[in-house]
Amino acid sequence: MIKRITLSIILLFAALSLWAQIPTGGVKGVVVSRDGRVPVPGAEVVLSQGGVQIAGCTTGDQGAFLIEALANGMYSMTITANGFVSTEVNVTVDDGFVKDMMRISMTPELMVAEVDDSSFVEFDMDDSGYTDNPTIMYGTTDVFTSVAGYGFSSIRFKNRGYESESQDVYLAGVKMNDAITGYSPFSLWSGLNEAMRSKETTIGMESAEYGLGHFNGTTNLLGNPSAVRPGWRFSLLSNSALYRLRLMANYASGDLDNGLSYAINVSVRAGGNDWIDGVYYKNFSYYAGIEKKFNDNSRLALFTFANTGQRGAQNASTQEVYDLMGTNLYNSNWGYQNGVVRNARVRKTFEPVTVLKYTASPTDKLDVAATLLYRCGWNGYTALDWYDAPDPRPDYYRNLPSYFYMDDDDYNRLNEGKYNWALESWSNHSRDYANYQHINWDRLYNVNYNQADGRSKYAQEQRHVDQRDLNLAASMQWYPTDQFTLQAGLSGKINRTENYKKIADLLGGQYYLNIDQFAERDFASNEALIQNDLDYFLANGSAEKVVKGGKYGYDYYAHVRKGNLWVNGIYTVGGLTASLGASLGYETFWREGLMRKGLFAGLDDNGREITYQGKTLTTYDNKGQVISSKGNSDKCKFLTYSTKMSLAYLMTGGHRFSLNAGYFADAPTFTDAFVSPRTRNTIIDGLTTQKTMSADVNYQWGGNGYSVRVTGYWTKIKDQTDLMSVYDDSQQSFVNFAMTGIEQRHLGLEVGAKMPLPVQGLSLSGVLSLGEYIYTSNPTMTMTIDNSADVIYENVEIPYWQGTPKYRHVNYNGERVIEFDVRGDAVIDGYTKHHVPSTPELATALALNYRTRSYWFFELTGQFFAKSYLDMNPLYRTNIAVGGADGIITPEEVEYMTEQEEFDPAFLLNLSIGKSWYIHRKYNIGFSLNAQNLLNELNVKTGGYEQNRLISSLGKDRYYRFNSKYFYMPGANYMLNLYFRF
Amino acid sequence: MKRTLLIFALAAALVSCTSLYEEFEPVFTGKYEAPTAAKKVALEPNITIADLCKMYKTAMPWNVDQNLIIAGKVSTTDKPGNFYKSLYIQDETGGIELKLGRNGLYNYYQEGQMLYVRCFGLTLGMYGYKSGNYGGQGMVQLGYEDPTGSYETSYLEAPYLIDSHIFAGETGDKVVPAVITEAQLPGKNDTQATNEYVGKLVTLKGLTYGNQVFCLIYINSNKDKSMSANRIFLSDETWGVTTWAMSENKFKEYFDSGVWDSVKIGNAGDYNYGTVGEPNDPGFATSRAEIRAHSAAYSVSQYFKMGNTDIALRTSGYSKFGDNEIPKSVLEGKATVDLTGVLTLYQGTIQLIVNSLDDIVVHE
Repeated sequence: MIKRITLSIILLFAALSLWAQIPTGGVKGVVVSRDGRVPVPGAEVVLSQGGVQIAGCTTGDQGAFLIEALANGMYSMTITANGFVSTEVNVTVDDGFVKDMMRISMTPELMVAEVDDSSFVEFDMDDSGYTDNPTIMYGTTDVFTSVAGYGFSSIRFKNRGYESESQDVYLAGVKMNDAITGYSPFSLWSGLNEAMRSKETTIGMESAEYGLGHFNGTTNLLGNPSAVRPGWRFSLLSNSALYRLRLMANYASGDLDNGLSYAINVSVRAGGNDWIDGVYYKNFSYYAGIEKKFNDNSRLALFTFANTGQRGAQNASTQEVYDLMGTNLYNSNWGYQNGVVRNARVRKTFEPVTVLKYTASPTDKLDVAATLLYRCGWNGYTALDWYDAPDPRPDYYRNLPSYFYMDDDDYNRLNEGKYNWALESWSNHSRDYANYQHINWDRLYNVNYNQADGRSKYAQEQRHVDQRDLNLAASMQWYPTDQFTLQAGLSGKINRTENYKKIADLLGGQYYLNIDQFAERDFASNEALIQNDLDYFLANGSAEKVVKGGKYGYDYYAHVRKGNLWVNGIYTVGGLTASLGASLGYETFWREGLMRKGLFAGLDDNGREITYQGKTLTTYDNKGQVISSKGNSDKCKFLTYSTKMSLAYLMTGGHRFSLNAGYFADAPTFTDAFVSPRTRNTIIDGLTTQKTMSADVNYQWGGNGYSVRVTGYWTKIKDQTDLMSVYDDSQQSFVNFAMTGIEQRHLGLEVGAKMPLPVQGLSLSGVLSLGEYIYTSNPTMTMTIDNSADVIYENVEIPYWQGTPKYRHVNYNGERVIEFDVRGDAVIDGYTKHHVPSTPELATALALNYRTRSYWFFELTGQFFAKSYLDMNPLYRTNIAVGGADGIITPEEVEYMTEQEEFDPAFLLNLSIGKSWYIHRKYNIGFSLNAQNLLNELNVKTGGYEQNRLISSLGKDRYYRFNSKYFYMPGANYMLNLYFRF
Repeated sequence: MKRTLLIFALAAALVSCTSLYEEFEPVFTGKYEAPTAAKKVALEPNITIADLCKMYKTAMPWNVDQNLIIAGKVSTTDKPGNFYKSLYIQDETGGIELKLGRNGLYNYYQEGQMLYVRCFGLTLGMYGYKSGNYGGQGMVQLGYEDPTGSYETSYLEAPYLIDSHIFAGETGDKVVPAVITEAQLPGKNDTQATNEYVGKLVTLKGLTYGNQVFCLIYINSNKDKSMSANRIFLSDETWGVTTWAMSENKFKEYFDSGVWDSVKIGNAGDYNYGTVGEPNDPGFATSRAEIRAHSAAYSVSQYFKMGNTDIALRTSGYSKFGDNEIPKSVLEGKATVDLTGVLTLYQGTIQLIVNSLDDIVVHE
């Protein structure tokens, strides 16, 4: 027994002596992000001496690390993590102790250049029929996305040329793209940057845990309270190109001991800016959420938020107007009323969103999540409405000098005297002439005062798009083996959106008459036909006199129902990852008219024709179907599906190659499905799913501060439909262009690279987006008028949509003339291509980035953009427009009318500076300053559209275009952000 | 530490300053006060309308280069749409058309309201003059110069041009029309300078239907309107037109009914293009389909007799009452009418233009 004890003691001492020979020193600590001191898991910690690596490890879930068995001495400790600037500190290990470094903070790479919705000007072009939403890319660790996402927003860059609708935006796992238009709904949470900061993103064709996604990346904002950075944060922001001031406060508790966490975020945004007169913000945003953690594997979160308030909008004008006003940022939406500035176009919104989310991990191998989300409230947009009175817009074409005189006599504008009168009223910018250059509110009121019967001739209407949107989404991730992951989910949406307009302001009058003034011109002899609300008229014997707040004009529900199932399997073996996914969905939508319009009376509730004074009002289309404005339309039903596959191979040395391919069949949106949604239930002929094929190949490599990604992509989109609703003053009405069969092809290269420079803290990033986004079909068009039964053009081909013929020229008697063949046809050498508009096909940036150890940050960026094109009006690409009044088409007319405008290239220089300080290791204050467009470039077009009008020539043998309207980028501007947190 | 706080305080001060600085003029977002009613202008006229018209010489539009100011009450309204883009004012001596060139003029210038016109810079010219035995005088008008020479005057149109010459004065009672006899009617060579009723609001009583219309239709208004092959004249008889004028829809109704099928296409003496029923002009590619495709609203002159004098009641196809049927009793000659309107001359023919249907009173 004693022997055994002795042995044990000997062994123990032996062990101890052995132990003594192993160094007992070490280093431990917690790696946290400087941005909110959130733990950074997965950071690489490396210790070296004299350039020789001694030891290393990776931080755990809570950012903690421990390196033991270190000999005494000085070490250099380098910490690197994806998305953070690498940090180097010196550590001394002595006396064999484990040195506790406490918190080691790392600076996120995007700390200053973080994407903030305050960088995105929102454009409203309701009247133009054109939409222009930029693709908002949130910064990820990907160099391209982080540089382009923020830096390219001022030019309204669209990633790979795709419309913003193609970007899938999720909130807490629910796809939030607008049910009616498909637009990404960023404005719902603008001003709530703190609450919505945590997000997951994928780029291009990558799929995500919360959904299979499309071909233009996905973003999921987490939104739940435990994902909000803990602590207090206050910030003050001023943006000289958008709004004057934003004040924001945020508090989040983080996970408390009792399993609860809560967060609150509020902000106000107010004021105008230095560049565009009449634009302003007056917004309040709030977010509040609470979350409970049950044991260790499930959580329930409830949160709600809204962005409420009003925003004065900007409008596009022609170059003539900009030149007359001496600025490309002239805004025609405002004018003086009683000496104060009033904007006619104000966006007023209150759309609260409430979310209930449950997540659980019942086993180590299974994660599940389910979310219920409800969106409601209202979204209004004001505009001027008028009846039998002059157009109140100051830049109406008949008010401009060019309406009276143009150098080319063939325009038939020959009166120089009147030109000079108009010129005088536009070229002197003193207050005396303001009423010619801006809306003359006083005059609008006086016209209303002059009406003995109290009927307003001018009024301010508010167009509403009020959504009720209920969503349920559930997803799961199952890891049956180390190699295989199965992701799957389902989602459902029920949406009812009411579209109507109401009187916002009678401008000094007592009522506005609910009739259709265009119909009145054509159908004066039958009073029933001109009614916007026939039921009211038949019940009361006269048209409704609408007062403030009353609905008029149109009123209908858009009903949308969607359901979707998806599954994605990921298999990983060695460096190889393969995935295959598919989704299947069903979508139906229909219109439900709430107001019976006289022109499209339809059948009464008993299915009988409607008559008035012996005349039948009910009308039928050319297929014998009743044309109806009230009640339910036919239901449009679509089976949607998609499939995606990807292969990726990670080679030693960190080189990663991947290949993605996908096919998508998506339903058209409600807005593109009806001939004239405001007035009737008629559905566009030949409505079908939009098909997209897309593929990309990628190469990525990163390490030691280097990062490279090269992507080549190809996408073909077929069977697109588009409805443009444009106010046409030749028809004095909204006209609708319904286009079907639009095809486009996107082909391009995307490169992002970052490299450290020999100076500590200095690095260089470069990105390149080079693509060709072109139309590859000639769609067909049906043009209808909102306020008449007439179909102006039905299923007309648009022969010059995808290109303009290149006519062969020859020298004839010393003159360059177009060559004709023996049959008398002009000889064509191919076609010039027409491009998907409003985004540069060449966008490139080079950024020099410098960070000091004392947390100063500097970034100087040069950007170059080229090959951006103007949005095309389908009318100008038809034989009607190129034929002229005489209907004879000549090559000169085709060239002139159908060519697409290319914008001038632009070079921009931006500078960012930032710094943060810690006080008592507890308080953190800092600032960031982004100075944009330092070269003060004032001639950079960001978008615009062609007007829908033609000028008949003096000889009546051809048409000329109306001048196009443009949006320009502001000149030199800054965004300054100060923050304080603890 | 202190330095850090100092820097931060400076930065905060900077932001606050820029925050306090507002753009050139901030948008007002409170409750908007209704503007006060515009001030009524009163100018001292220095010439009568008749005297102004006397300064016009046939075929010589005059760009007024003297500081002449006329004053008169508005006698017409474009609200029912029979007057369009212009209005008439009158004083004791006569009436004159102001070619303003904007729609919805009644919103600014109401019937009975005093208007003052600074004539300097405007052009005095005539519309509707035709020389020779079959011609006669038209109307002296105030407009702007027309460098193309198509007309003697053009519309003012440019807002600043209008506001610099036309001034709205006090509103008042509507003009009382003068009831005149056949003997007081102007002759074909009269103008505002020689007959006090020309251009003024008058009432003509006891007229009978003349069984005759006049209407010029263009086959394709996008093509040259002066070409004979592009013109259809409804004249000398009624051609089935039983309305005061015709809207585009009414035009189609008449056209489709076949009542015009025997009307010859072309100017008088140049009937070489077939008929409305069977167009026949390969050069102009005329067809019934083309005529129908270019349907439009048309003004119609319905002829009445005042004693032995022809009175053309000229009504616009865009007027709200243009499609109203003329009472059957009138068409059949069983009823007489009293007409109140502006007395005008076109190539020496008397044309009366009414403001609204209320100006046509039928005596069964």
